[in-house]
Amino acid sequence: MKYVKKDLGAYKLHLIKTTNFKTIKIRVSFRSPIVKEEITLRNVLCSLLTLSTKKYQTKRDLIIKGQDLYAATISSSNSRIGNYINTDILLTVLHDKYTEEGNFKSALDFLYDVVYDPNVDGNHFNEEQLEIVKRNAKTSLESLKEDASYYSLLRLYENMEEEGPLSCRMAGYIEDLDAIDSKNLYQYYKNMINKDLMDIFVIGDIDFHETEEMIKSIFRTKTFKKQKLGYYLEEKKPRKHIRTVMEQEVNNQSKLAIGARLCNLTKYERDYPLTLYNVILGSGPDSKLFREVREKHSLCYTINSVPNKLDNILVIRAGIDKKNIKKTVSLIQSQMNLMKKGKFSDKDLTIAKEYFQTAMDSILESQSSIIESYYMMDLVGLDDMETRVEKMMEVTSNDIIKVAKKIKLDTAYCLEGVKE
Amino acid sequence: MKTVELKGLDKTCFTEKLNNGLEVIFIPYEDKKNYFMTYATRYGSDTNCFVPVGSKKFTTVPNGIAHFLEHKMFEQEDGVDPFSFFSESGTGGNASTTFTSTRYICYGTKEFKKNLKYLINFVNEPYFTDENVEKEKGIIKEEIKMYDDIPEAFLENKLRENLYRVDPHRIDIAGTTNDIDQITKEDLYTCYNTFYNPNNMFIIIAGNFNKKDAMDIISETLGEKENRIDEVKVKEVKEPKNVHKDCEELSINIKVPKIGLGYKLLKEDFDIKDELELDLYFSMIAALLFGTSSLFRERVRNKHLMSSFYYEWDSTKNYSSLLIYAETEDPELLIEEVQKELDYIKIEEDDLERMKKVWIANEVKMIDFVDTTVSNVFDDMIRYKKLIPNKVDLIRKMNKKTLDKILANMKFNNRAKVILLPSKIITKEK
Repeated sequence: MKYVKKDLGAYKLHLIKTTNFKTIKIRVSFRSPIVKEEITLRNVLCSLLTLSTKKYQTKRDLIIKGQDLYAATISSSNSRIGNYINTDILLTVLHDKYTEEGNFKSALDFLYDVVYDPNVDGNHFNEEQLEIVKRNAKTSLESLKEDASYYSLLRLYENMEEEGPLSCRMAGYIEDLDAIDSKNLYQYYKNMINKDLMDIFVIGDIDFHETEEMIKSIFRTKTFKKQKLGYYLEEKKPRKHIRTVMEQEVNNQSKLAIGARLCNLTKYERDYPLTLYNVILGSGPDSKLFREVREKHSLCYTINSVPNKLDNILVIRAGIDKKNIKKTVSLIQSQMNLMKKGKFSDKDLTIAKEYFQTAMDSILESQSSIIESYYMMDLVGLDDMETRVEKMMEVTSNDIIKVAKKIKLDTAYCLEGVKE
Repeated sequence: MKTVELKGLDKTCFTEKLNNGLEVIFIPYEDKKNYFMTYATRYGSDTNCFVPVGSKKFTTVPNGIAHFLEHKMFEQEDGVDPFSFFSESGTGGNASTTFTSTRYICYGTKEFKKNLKYLINFVNEPYFTDENVEKEKGIIKEEIKMYDDIPEAFLENKLRENLYRVDPHRIDIAGTTNDIDQITKEDLYTCYNTFYNPNNMFIIIAGNFNKKDAMDIISETLGEKENRIDEVKVKEVKEPKNVHKDCEELSINIKVPKIGLGYKLLKEDFDIKDELELDLYFSMIAALLFGTSSLFRERVRNKHLMSSFYYEWDSTKNYSSLLIYAETEDPELLIEEVQKELDYIKIEEDDLERMKKVWIANEVKMIDFVDTTVSNVFDDMIRYKKLIPNKVDLIRKMNKKTLDKILANMKFNNRAKVILLPSKIITKEK
């Protein structure tokens, strides 16, 4: 695998050559500091761009165009990266050697249409198409609570932070929908295209020079952009005692979501010991939480922990019966205390390192994961994959204990399942 | 081993059948670091009444037992569970149960030989005690409750329940919490001994590994293994032609209404006797009528009639059922649209040709991934009981004439309809 990065002023171009895949993926990423009131707008825009374009006026036309290019697909998604909102537009197309000469170039033109030639009449988006997206957005926001697991996570974040990025619902807000019209959305689009920080990734069996020229001839944006805000969220002081929040919903199962804060972790601690701490504590079926809460006490089917080093938090989630809420919280607390006391074996540490190595290996099996890895290297200075493995192997038990002591429980949220 | 080319996909497979009937399929990849293996039995949740090993009479076991058994296989006498063993080399393990299969998987990049041996051995060595069976009940009950709270899963279960009168497809793979309570260690051994035999099982391995090493391990661990039973007698299900319940409305804790429509088609009604060919045409018809590039989708989208939509084919011994699910503010109107589409089917040759191209391209894309490749071969081994090396050719050969012949016999008048409404709407009506 070979990688080059070119700063072209308006955007950074990342070219990754690998012969392991029959497809080529091109990802265009736009990002800007997140503004709560604009999330819904951005979601609507994100869906609208892949619904139709000036040339392909309906979703059906757009999909058929992709199918004609040997099942090329275009998708779009929004996510939050720390302080930023990020929009990815992703094209996947078979390499020309499995289709025909020129298919890749045509697919790039197709991507251009989606990004730069949307379904616009004059200075506003097509009303009918916008209406389709808004109606869909309304329904999916109305049914947000139906996904109890996701909803409990949102409520945990909102209880940990009233304002600020962590509390942002990436699904958007139903009350913001009405204010979105074809004109203000077009303005927002223009802004995103011209002012957002932008990256383009191309991965596949490509020729660097040829691909660069192709991309440059298609993505001709010239505006020079500068990053002003960092990615890491500002650290919040942890509570002295864990706060418990209970809400009820008509469900069979109760969803527990516990948030802990990472306090004063160094960059090294975030990138290395924290990962291993989490593997040992709760990332898989061999973790402490799985063994203790599921296997030993039969309290749940799912339980896991996930750190988010950009947000300075660690979240533990489980689906349990409501009569076991207290017991589960206390078991989780005691497992975290054991971590602080260093009550894990050398074998646990070795296994966690093995897991990490396999996870790194599996990055190489997915083009999207490779792109994401390079993106994070660029954005938050993650080490390259080789260095990451090397440094991870050097992490000691003491490093992990130090991190464990800097993780403080903050809020336990439970969406209690009650029968009508 | 026999060499088999996957035509049009640039991939070679190797197959072998041991004397005891166990089938082995290898799909080596030279450019990969990882491997993915599965050890599976052709036994799933749809087999609840059969003549067990050592008996002459039919016996009925509790629903959900195949899935329970899958969970319990991870219990080992030495107390070390397979997750721990695999994790020592950073390897992942898992298992899953369907109506017709149970499979155990292992995937990673290291210790191939050790892990293959272990995978085979742990599936070959059950260890059930009253205590460990009781312990599992709490875990599985939470799994069942989790799915019951997902409206889509609830709808899917309800639709199958109304579509079939006696076929086990009407019961959720995991069973109900009441079913789980009845399961005993003896039941588990009965099912294990009856269905976990070499003549009912197979192994698929893809990725980076040495064929000889793998075959040596398989011969050594399974070559001499005897079948406890030659062929299991399974009680035949006499599923009537008509749907069990044609209409049901339920109010549950949701915010937006959802619909499920199930159309039960008798396979005998069609001239094509090759199951795979019939499946391909059925899938093609559904893709053209209801897929993302269909006119139907465009029409209902423009009328703002739905926010989500998906479909699948459910196949039992004698029936193929088209199952359609959607989230909609206007259930009746959307149902009308779906029915209209099915009552007046029109498929253009161009659309068929385009979709064939898409399917072939997708086959090419999928072969890049060892896990997807194993899954696809696995599905074929369960459904058609063999490897299908010429799928691309079969797709290429699909034609309008055959399609029309099938369409002429396709009647969508045998329908089960389930409508889920938000609880409050019902209350208001009352």
